[in-house]
Amino acid sequence: MTKNAKVSLVVIAVVVAVVAAFALLNRPDDTPPATAGGQPDVGTSAQLVRPDSHRLSGTADAKVTVVEFLDLECEACRAAFPGVEKLRAEYGDRVSFVMRYFPIPSHRNAELAARAVEAAGRQGKLELMYRAMYETQPTWGEKQEPQREAFVGFAQALGLDVTKFETDLDDPAVRERVRKDWDDGVALNVRGTPTFFVNGTMFQGNPTYEALKAVIDRELTK
Amino acid sequence: MNPTAFTTRLLPWVLTAGGAVGLVAAFVLTVEKTTLLKNPDYIPTCSIDPILSCGSIMRTAQAEVFGFPNPLLGIVGFAIVVTIGVVVLAGGSLPRWFWLGLQAGTLLGVVFVHWLIYQSLYVIGALCPYCMIVWAVTIPVFWYITVHNLGEGHLPAPRRLAALATGYHGVILTVWYAAIVLLVLQAFWSYWLSLL
Repeated sequence: MTKNAKVSLVVIAVVVAVVAAFALLNRPDDTPPATAGGQPDVGTSAQLVRPDSHRLSGTADAKVTVVEFLDLECEACRAAFPGVEKLRAEYGDRVSFVMRYFPIPSHRNAELAARAVEAAGRQGKLELMYRAMYETQPTWGEKQEPQREAFVGFAQALGLDVTKFETDLDDPAVRERVRKDWDDGVALNVRGTPTFFVNGTMFQGNPTYEALKAVIDRELTK
Repeated sequence: MNPTAFTTRLLPWVLTAGGAVGLVAAFVLTVEKTTLLKNPDYIPTCSIDPILSCGSIMRTAQAEVFGFPNPLLGIVGFAIVVTIGVVVLAGGSLPRWFWLGLQAGTLLGVVFVHWLIYQSLYVIGALCPYCMIVWAVTIPVFWYITVHNLGEGHLPAPRRLAALATGYHGVILTVWYAAIVLLVLQAFWSYWLSLL
């Protein structure tokens, strides 16, 4: 074997060994990324709630802020939705709930749904559209064909100006708005939906009503 | 074995194979891009999850640096690289100015690819598998042209440097690849761990 080949193999062996050692050393036991120090791709709290992020309830100075990265087409998000609604009703303004779009690419209509919610928001009916999306999810979710007509139908049912709604749906600014939420989620280590952050810490486990309530109560008494 | 003879024989194969692979990747990216333009809700075949995602990358401004989709550059550039590789395999001998032109062209290519790597890892925060294929072939194409030009004296360089590049061509390429692999691993470290 030539010296060139030998040295190349040594380089490869060293790199593989170093990477394997690192992977074994900090293999996470579900380390919450928000608290794991030194991880380069953990975002900042500024990325968690942007000035233009949609606050469904509570105010910016609430003691507890819950941020949810959600995909309107995801069944687990739909499963968490009633719990979130209940928590919002119970805590009122004491807890701030912020909704961020995180449409997973494999869900064909998730991004369009997010844009539909954003477009409805331009006519002041963001929350109604957000609810409508979850409530009707079984009728349009997991489909391969674009569900644009269905969403336009929702807009009509909600009494929106349909022409404006359709223009907004295609507005690059709306698309960009959804993508910015997505980018923040990726930067914050969001890898699936729904991902909740309670006061900046990523919530681990199944986001049931009880589990979220326990974390919120703990934060409220701090 | 004379190392210069080896890299000289290797070069046309690197150009032909690297150019062909790069051409296919650039072609697929162009097709995906047009499909995406026809239907903004289209999900490209290489969008697997939040990190491995062509779709989010193809929608960025960085994907059209010069005002048109980057892969068009790849289709033109890699087609030339394949052609030159085949010409050399066919026994064609090319003058110094031609090799220097190729050096300049691939230098631009390799610089552009590294800028795209930087954008992908640190600005966009996602990886596009077809784009990574382009990264992977542009580097050896540039490198083996450089080795050839150093060995043949087309590029002015001290003899020792030329001998070093020729004798350790594989080491330098390996270190180059390793550096990029490490950067990719580091930038998305927690994601890779989550796959384990």
